[in-house]
Amino acid sequence: MPRADFITGLALIALGVGALMQSLAMPRFADLGVNPYTVPGLVPGLLGAIIAGLGGVLTLRAAGNGGWRMARAETQTPDRAERGREWRRLLITLALTVGYAGGLVGSIPFPLATGLFMLLFILLFTPDEQWKTIPLWRTLVVAVVIAGATATIVTLLFERLFLVRLP
Amino acid sequence: MLENLASFGGALAGFLTPEALFATLWATFVGICVGMMPGLTATLGVALMTTLTFRMAAGDAILILICMYVGAIYGGSRSAILLNMPGTPASAATTLDGFPLARSGQAGHAMATATSGSVLGSLIGMICLAIFAPWLAEFALDFGAYEFFWLAVFGIVISGHLTALDDPLKGWIAGFLGLLVAMVGQEGIHAYERFSFGNSDLAGGIGLLPALVGAFGFAEILSVMKNRPYRVVADAVDSVIPKVREVLSYWRTIIRSGLIGTTMGLVPGVGEDMGAWVSYAAARRASKERKKFGKGSLEGLMSAETGNSAAVPGAIIPVLTLAVPGSAPAAVLLAAMYIHGVRPGPLIMIEFPSFVFEVVAMILLASLAILLYGILLTKPLLRVLAVPREKLMPVVFVLCTVGSFAIASRTFDIWVMLAFGLIGFVLREMKYPMAPLVLGIVLGDILDKSLRRGLVLSDGDPAPFFTRPISLVLWLAVAVTIAMSIPVVRAAVTRGVGSAMHALGVRKKQEANE
Repeated sequence: MPRADFITGLALIALGVGALMQSLAMPRFADLGVNPYTVPGLVPGLLGAIIAGLGGVLTLRAAGNGGWRMARAETQTPDRAERGREWRRLLITLALTVGYAGGLVGSIPFPLATGLFMLLFILLFTPDEQWKTIPLWRTLVVAVVIAGATATIVTLLFERLFLVRLP
Repeated sequence: MLENLASFGGALAGFLTPEALFATLWATFVGICVGMMPGLTATLGVALMTTLTFRMAAGDAILILICMYVGAIYGGSRSAILLNMPGTPASAATTLDGFPLARSGQAGHAMATATSGSVLGSLIGMICLAIFAPWLAEFALDFGAYEFFWLAVFGIVISGHLTALDDPLKGWIAGFLGLLVAMVGQEGIHAYERFSFGNSDLAGGIGLLPALVGAFGFAEILSVMKNRPYRVVADAVDSVIPKVREVLSYWRTIIRSGLIGTTMGLVPGVGEDMGAWVSYAAARRASKERKKFGKGSLEGLMSAETGNSAAVPGAIIPVLTLAVPGSAPAAVLLAAMYIHGVRPGPLIMIEFPSFVFEVVAMILLASLAILLYGILLTKPLLRVLAVPREKLMPVVFVLCTVGSFAIASRTFDIWVMLAFGLIGFVLREMKYPMAPLVLGIVLGDILDKSLRRGLVLSDGDPAPFFTRPISLVLWLAVAVTIAMSIPVVRAAVTRGVGSAMHALGVRKKQEANE
């Protein structure tokens, strides 16, 4: 993965330099008579420099392996169709999870948000062969029951048994 | 010694109550289920359980977390044997012989061997914990700011090196990124808000638990859902009861693997998977049946399972005595101890003298619980593997969301979980290990305070960092580890050692002739 390493290396250099500059801008409290060896920016600055250095090594190594040729295809994927399906599954998962945790939770009641998320997740990831072999109503009922049960059990378990506040 | 034994007896007696025994049984059961499911790791299990138990009494909560930890590492062997997929990274070496045994119709026999290896490994680690933790705590009283600074650096360097043997650079990058993450928020000396950019949530720092739940939970969910669904490819039709005579015939392998596993657990941030791999490699070198290794060797399976389970108590030793975790789940355990008011570190035997032996008793109870489940419930428990991922993973994600929020009731922590999940997923896809990242987040504060305190004590003179005896050993270890991972240096050292050995051999031959 020389190309990915090359890009990561550049990103790490940027991150390290950014952290170093932020650290240098941190106060030294000299007017308060603070010992100069305790300044808040000392360790983050060192870490920034080290990360930039490690990023530099990664970049150089990746460049040596041809990673600088940004337009070149990384690898020849043996099964492009499967790769496409992988991306599809990943994007659906991302959309559902981020939509639930970052959007629904806190906006609508927790059991409702959880039930909706569970129902959509189960239905969208039910394998194709199951849609063909098992009657539609059965798949839907099972999904609704699992979604409802999870929402109820998690709510009761956290709020009543473990006395934890829900979002 | 007798005093320690009495403390252990007292601690064990304290847990022989119906409530504690019930907690042991259900927490170990949940741990085994978590370990069995590919995508759910011991780290995630312990982290989620920490969020559930943080309102409980310290003793009860830590008992539940240790049972979860021991159970999850053992549970990983089930899927390693039946699916050829390690349930947790610690069980990767188990697949090498466990799966071929299952394919040849000996899945039950393999699981019985894994059960006995895990129980005995835990017990060996437990004995080492009882013996060495008090001794190490006393030794650690000599540690000052200089030593703790190097210990933190050593942890990052060795963890980065050993968890990414093919490419230590990526391990170190992960470790230093973890240290940088730990710098976010108010620092401990002047209360200055670093990298907060005026955001009050960032000023509070990045919580370890939401970060871990993201890196080990959400990231795993993304990986599992991205890949094709797994299938159970073998079934246990034969007996799952361990045969005592057969187990005893491997006593050398068991003791060796137990000691290696405990030692690997002791090394900061290395943990159970290396415990298993190193034990497996040592067993193969010493075995008379080494040709069978990788093709269904019971000895190979025994060594891997003994090694990973022994690493659990091993990883807890530095948690208790140095406040430095030996593995990722141990890092969560360390955080949980702080939450419950226990302060691990060199003063543990002074401030909480009975706590070390309480932990020893907890490991014993968890080991007995896995033996019980291994004998009685192996076959029914395998049904957990039949739960389809599209029904399991959303439940896990709901728990990740609630768990991230639970400790501090901050919505910000849910965003931390999501962010670390995405970062963890990308890093894992690019072959960066997660353990050094976790270790970095844990050790960041120690490194920061120790460096600055050390410099104040020496008035800016860096010499004590390099000349005090323990510091000297630690920085030399760091330097050698880094140097030996540079191919040119490694090749030169190997050549040098080779020619020196050759010259020594020639000289001895000449002396013998004379």
